[in-house]
Amino acid sequence: MSITVFSARKIITMNPANPEGTHVAVRDGLILGVGALADVAGWGPYTLDETFKDHVILPGFVEAHAHIMAAGIMQLPYVGFFDRQLANGSPAPGVKSYEGLIEKLKEEDAKLEDPNAPLVAGGFDPIYFPDQPRLTRHHLDQVSASRAIYLHHASGHLATANTAMLERNAVTRDLQIEGLGRDPDGELNGELREPAAMGTCKDAMRIVHFANSTESALRDFGAMARNAGITTCTDLAGQAILVPKLKQMWREVTGEADYPLRIAQYNIPAIPGATADFESVADEFVTLRDNATEKLRFPGVKFVLDGSIQGFSALLKAPGYYRGEDHGQLLTVPDQFLDWLRPFHRRSLNVHMHCNGNLTQDLAIETIEQVLREDPWLDHRHTITHAQLTTQAQLRKMAKLGLCANFFSNHLWYWGDQHYEMTVGPERANALEPCASALREGVPFSVHSDAGVTPLGSLHTAWCAVNRVTPSGRVLGETEKISPYEALKAVTLNAAYQMHLDDEIGSLEAGKKADFAILEQDPLSVDPMQIKDIGIWGTVLVGRKQPAATQ
Amino acid sequence: MIDLTILGGYLGAGKTTLLNHILQHNAELRLALLINDFGSINIDAALIESQDEQQINLSNGCVCCNLSDGFYAALETLKEMEPPPDHIIVEASGVADVHNLSQHGYTNELSLSGRIVLVDAETVRARANDKYVAETVRRQIKAADLLVLNKTDLVSRDEADDIETWLTSFNTCPVIRTTQGAVPLDALLGISSRGFEDDHHHHHPDYATWQHSTHRAYDRAELECALNQVKDLLRLKGVVRCRGGGSLVVQLVGKRWEVSARPGDVDTGHLVAIGLAEHIDTTQLDALFFTDSAP
Repeated sequence: MSITVFSARKIITMNPANPEGTHVAVRDGLILGVGALADVAGWGPYTLDETFKDHVILPGFVEAHAHIMAAGIMQLPYVGFFDRQLANGSPAPGVKSYEGLIEKLKEEDAKLEDPNAPLVAGGFDPIYFPDQPRLTRHHLDQVSASRAIYLHHASGHLATANTAMLERNAVTRDLQIEGLGRDPDGELNGELREPAAMGTCKDAMRIVHFANSTESALRDFGAMARNAGITTCTDLAGQAILVPKLKQMWREVTGEADYPLRIAQYNIPAIPGATADFESVADEFVTLRDNATEKLRFPGVKFVLDGSIQGFSALLKAPGYYRGEDHGQLLTVPDQFLDWLRPFHRRSLNVHMHCNGNLTQDLAIETIEQVLREDPWLDHRHTITHAQLTTQAQLRKMAKLGLCANFFSNHLWYWGDQHYEMTVGPERANALEPCASALREGVPFSVHSDAGVTPLGSLHTAWCAVNRVTPSGRVLGETEKISPYEALKAVTLNAAYQMHLDDEIGSLEAGKKADFAILEQDPLSVDPMQIKDIGIWGTVLVGRKQPAATQ
Repeated sequence: MIDLTILGGYLGAGKTTLLNHILQHNAELRLALLINDFGSINIDAALIESQDEQQINLSNGCVCCNLSDGFYAALETLKEMEPPPDHIIVEASGVADVHNLSQHGYTNELSLSGRIVLVDAETVRARANDKYVAETVRRQIKAADLLVLNKTDLVSRDEADDIETWLTSFNTCPVIRTTQGAVPLDALLGISSRGFEDDHHHHHPDYATWQHSTHRAYDRAELECALNQVKDLLRLKGVVRCRGGGSLVVQLVGKRWEVSARPGDVDTGHLVAIGLAEHIDTTQLDALFFTDSAP
């Protein structure tokens, strides 16, 4: 059993009993100890690895809400507004104008050899072009008159097709689908809203869906996480129950010694809204959980209960939306939710509930209160994920019930201005993702990216919780800011806690996994506004070095 | 074109009972049912030809599919069936947005036959004021082509009248009162291609039919004008000669109708309709469609 001692400029452990060190000893993928060299040298003969002697070691980041499809969609040409990075480390610059979009699509068009292959690109979001007319086929026709082109928007609810794509699928002005955007003269303008209209372009839809379930997407997912210093990442709407054939591929790929990520999969038990025999489905979850591997875990179940705030489809408590029409809707029948959740709770499966709206969150809280009355479980750690508009009263109640919150802190940056000006207005925009209040009220919380809704990047996610700034320079809710230390805890130990994995990961402690994030600078001593820009060498996962693609 | 019916309504309104009623009384259509709760559907075991987790095939050509792959995927699978089904019925989830779902009925291979929304006479008003689902239930009611007021045996006649008046404040489409979802298939799914030759509805006192044949040729505009004046019909369909050649096909469900031109002449035009016996105005229908001075 060989021992490796890694040296570092500084090691931040997130273990309050032993907060810092300069050396960490590792044997068999487990930590023997953290401290000065003298504190860890006594375990026996060791190899000193000084790769990180100028770096700062943190516990590997734990991304508490992401999706494997984050990598699938990034395999399509990227035309989102914000800069991103591809799995191979190369930059995917954001598209800031329609001219830039057309230019980028022309480049992608030129790369395609088959003249009949459709060009399907992802990530576009019209919300960032408020001063422009809506994007239509007329813009995309400037790219090519012959190439069929389809832009899958970031929201997943919209697409824009060019004339060739519409013609290829026989989508004409005679079709009366409401979601088909039209010019004033009634001709189609290529905007496709919601599934019925988007689905008319079948081959494009197939490409979008297929991208999410491939082996290469899973490999890219691992690489993207590693590049961001993440060692454990949730797949928080996993498909293991709905598409069981994918399980074998996931096991094989994550089972490879050098696959750079531990995935904690929270599968969805049924298509939202559809019913199922949840007792037997919950049995399948137990089987999955009991057959977990080192890098593929199944801690619990995910329920999706509503839509999104920026899509006006989250269910809000009074006074409702600030501007725009309320399309708030539950995705599950409230009367049935208790019956659906109970079988999982009874089997001690950890439950994560997607609630973007705070009225939806009331349903989640009430339902958890009821299952706890029926079947007490003090240490359930059930979690409300997104929880963006959590009220103070809800925090007080969640604390009493032992519920955790998993806040979508990246929203503060990516949609903070839109929330302030449009969706919920100033007071509630300032109270979004209330990390400081959760801390004060005693609600354990993590913060997340919901990748691919926003990019994987725990430092960015933590930075949002610390600084709460928007692209326009607003600070949303000074009083809800938290310290860099608390934010780092939210993306390490707290995220692990919510999955009942905090005895294994989330801090650097004797006996826990040797999972490290390797940073160029100390996030506790840089200017808090620089946290998101700290360079990342890569990770160590179960004692194995995993350099980022840029190394 | 495959007909598409969306069957909506909140939990407990009786969608499963209505589906079972349809399966029992369907004699001629190759139905494809997309259902939410596979376990609840009541199929005579003798009729089941084959069955797996996704699909039940019946000996009469009907299929029942579950929605575990998602609505879009299930619909695509059904469209590609050989031979294709005549009619797809989607059992929407209790919180589904019926209007949005029905948009699939306007895609290339499908034709929207109707949005049937069931309401539970006993509970609908409480649901429509519920903390979580008030807007959802109201949206469902507003989206209907035909509202089926079910479980009327659980309320008094006066209460049923009250509920109907209340429903009309959201949607002026026809309201069919029933128990156990016992509504004629001609009203639910559209009038069968055979029309009413076998007179099989006339024994049900709640419903009345009307039909007429004519050699007359119509302008599209005058037909549309007549359809705008039709009141309280559940369904009307037919084909008539078009002035200047070709023919005009008419489909009506509740307040919604469409006229489409078709090449090829018909010798005799036929129009058939079904309505509630207490509402149908056959004199008006005669006047609208078969007097030469029709508006």
